[in-house]
Amino acid sequence: MNAVKNRASLSRSPRKSIAVISVALAGALALTAMPAQGASTPGVSDTEIVLGMQLPQTGAASPGYNKVDDAMRAYFDYVNSKGGVYGRKITLVAKDDAYKAGLTVSTASALINKDKVFAMVGSIGTQTHISVIKDINRRGIPDLFVLSGYSGFYTDPKKYPTTFGSLGTYVVEAKIIGKYIKENLSTKNVGILYQTDDFGRNTVEGLATAGVTFTAKKNAATFIAGAQAGGLDAQMQQLKDNNVEVVVVGATASAFAAAVGSANKIGYKPQYIVISVGSDATTFQTILFTKGIPFASSAALLAGTISASHAPSPGEADDEFVKAFKKINDEFNTGPAAGKAWDNNVLQGMNIGYTMTAALMGAGKDLTRPGIIKYIENNPAKLSSAALAPLGYSAKTHEAYTGFWIGKYDATAVLKPIDGTRKVWTTDSAKGAVTELKYTRPAIAADALPKVG
Amino acid sequence: MSNLKVKSIARTSLIRTLIFSALILLVGLQFDAYNQAQLAVVLILFIGVLSITLLTGISGQLSLGQGALMAVGGYSTALLMINYKLSLWVAIPLSIISSAIAGLLLGVAAARLRGPYLAGTTLVIALAIPTIANRFMSVFKGDEGLQVDVGYPPQWFSSLFGEPTYEQWQLYVALPFAAVALFFASNILLSRTGRMWRSIRDHESAASLAGVNFARQKIYVFVISSTFAGLSGALYGLRGLVGPSVYPVSLSLLLLTAAVLGGIRSIAGAFIGTVIVVFLPDWIELILGNFELSEQVSNYLPALISSLLLILTVVINPAGVAGVKLHKHK
Repeated sequence: MNAVKNRASLSRSPRKSIAVISVALAGALALTAMPAQGASTPGVSDTEIVLGMQLPQTGAASPGYNKVDDAMRAYFDYVNSKGGVYGRKITLVAKDDAYKAGLTVSTASALINKDKVFAMVGSIGTQTHISVIKDINRRGIPDLFVLSGYSGFYTDPKKYPTTFGSLGTYVVEAKIIGKYIKENLSTKNVGILYQTDDFGRNTVEGLATAGVTFTAKKNAATFIAGAQAGGLDAQMQQLKDNNVEVVVVGATASAFAAAVGSANKIGYKPQYIVISVGSDATTFQTILFTKGIPFASSAALLAGTISASHAPSPGEADDEFVKAFKKINDEFNTGPAAGKAWDNNVLQGMNIGYTMTAALMGAGKDLTRPGIIKYIENNPAKLSSAALAPLGYSAKTHEAYTGFWIGKYDATAVLKPIDGTRKVWTTDSAKGAVTELKYTRPAIAADALPKVG
Repeated sequence: MSNLKVKSIARTSLIRTLIFSALILLVGLQFDAYNQAQLAVVLILFIGVLSITLLTGISGQLSLGQGALMAVGGYSTALLMINYKLSLWVAIPLSIISSAIAGLLLGVAAARLRGPYLAGTTLVIALAIPTIANRFMSVFKGDEGLQVDVGYPPQWFSSLFGEPTYEQWQLYVALPFAAVALFFASNILLSRTGRMWRSIRDHESAASLAGVNFARQKIYVFVISSTFAGLSGALYGLRGLVGPSVYPVSLSLLLLTAAVLGGIRSIAGAFIGTVIVVFLPDWIELILGNFELSEQVSNYLPALISSLLLILTVVINPAGVAGVKLHKHK
């Protein structure tokens, strides 16, 4: 009898507990339904504009790219020293995602919810940005001047209305390089080394549009993006075994350095043609230096490499933008010594800072998220920069620079126009023809601040 | 086992689960949007850490590749949602089945392997994810991955509880799955199955003499553990993307770190460890925020400190945070 009583009491008590806890659960759920936030623009106050950025500051993909945030911040600090934009100082919060998409989601959440950024600017990385682009757009946060040439981010503004690029797309660049190959290297055995992501595939697509195609496992070698740290020996051996004389590289700077390092070991010296993102000289030389190749030797390895650019080479000391940006970098870049060393990454960071400042100025004192998106979309011509091609923004596309010039690295690791004459070529990310661009870049003002009036 | 005993175990597990869920909701209510998203990550990874608790902590089999099983769950869910337009509430249970099948295959191999050989095998599987994603590009979309997310709450939910923010919705989606995982993990640990698994861990020969078919039980452990990992991976992918860079080898090591820090043999330890690894970077930032450390230092501090904690835990307190009481009793 007692046993039955005990059993009954044992079973009743948990039931009561379960009922009480269930009610508490439902109550808690109801309480968590919070009202919507107020209408003020996040990240904008009377004295400050907060911008966010995601990039690989650590990890295999970080060399070179980890300098961009310091360069951008240096330009903003310069603007702040001149009174900011309509009295507001610009603050850049950069977060490291180590080029891992799982981390990119977390750092985006931190930038949006904790740092309350007004806009994202200059975020780096194709596969990492894919993980957050939908959420950023859904929230209506301006996703400006993304440092990826992946055309899928920009060619359909209905899909990603707040995202704008800061590079010419890989397809545009590859089409222009493809035209050069067809006209100048058609007698050679041309092969390709590319990373198996959008960057690499866009490169192959652009070259194919220009009529330059490859055969898998023969004159086309591939590797997984980010997997180049141990070298690319097998890939370079494959290209050598197939007698490839010209190697087009659709990969990051660290991968290009790994490829040259691997080719060098087996005495393979093809003509390299490198997509601009992968051809930064200092990144190339720094990575090879860590593998025991002195700077003088790596400059010799780079010499003769063909690449393209939408902007002047950082080594063009007489270019007015290069001169002005270099001066600001020397005075305002607070990054480590290696980080502030002048190169293409720093130039691009400065250039995004300059374009972003122009957009903030153009959007007006009453700064809103829809306002700046509308301004950028409608006024690309007012957003001048160091680039030698205009911005292609419109309601139909958010692609950035539509033109590239082709050059060759000299013995001092400076990219110079082939034959000494610079011609800028333009095309689209579809099937349009490649034609010569006639564009006069607006001059930089004496105070190195953009003028949008 | 008598029905009464089974009911008692189920009741205990249910009470634990309901208290856990209520506490998460109440704490979540106090949090801002950022911390709500972080709490959702805690719940998601907690399920993954529970898979290690069962596999390594309870049955003594070391896996360095739980991230690969998470990827199986993630890719299954994404493919079902994208190709067959299934809702996540249908896709996730189906993807758990695919994870269980992957676990079965792995378990059959694992039944013949021990210690470092098993760890090495699982690590290789984790390392193979990018290659597989790129080899079958048309299905898995290579490095680009598959875009999926938790979407928006259904109309009935918004009508009943009001329109939640995106972060709240992430929390609400993760919580029921974490609760179910907790319920089952608690049941297993309290039941005869849990005791059998412990006996395999402590002494295979003794377990065999006591009538435990340890080869079969090892396979069971792998299957059950894989369902937990698959569920965790499915929810982790729903944060925005399912792709190789979402399930790197470092994710497998992060789960193992959480399990060891919290206490690899207990459910509470799994939760405490997950909270530590998820919130550690924020705590470091909070404490050192005023020191204006350079990026080179601040970016590496969370990994450095969690490594130090891991070493200290293994040397000083192998039972983890949840096992502190055990040491006091000694």
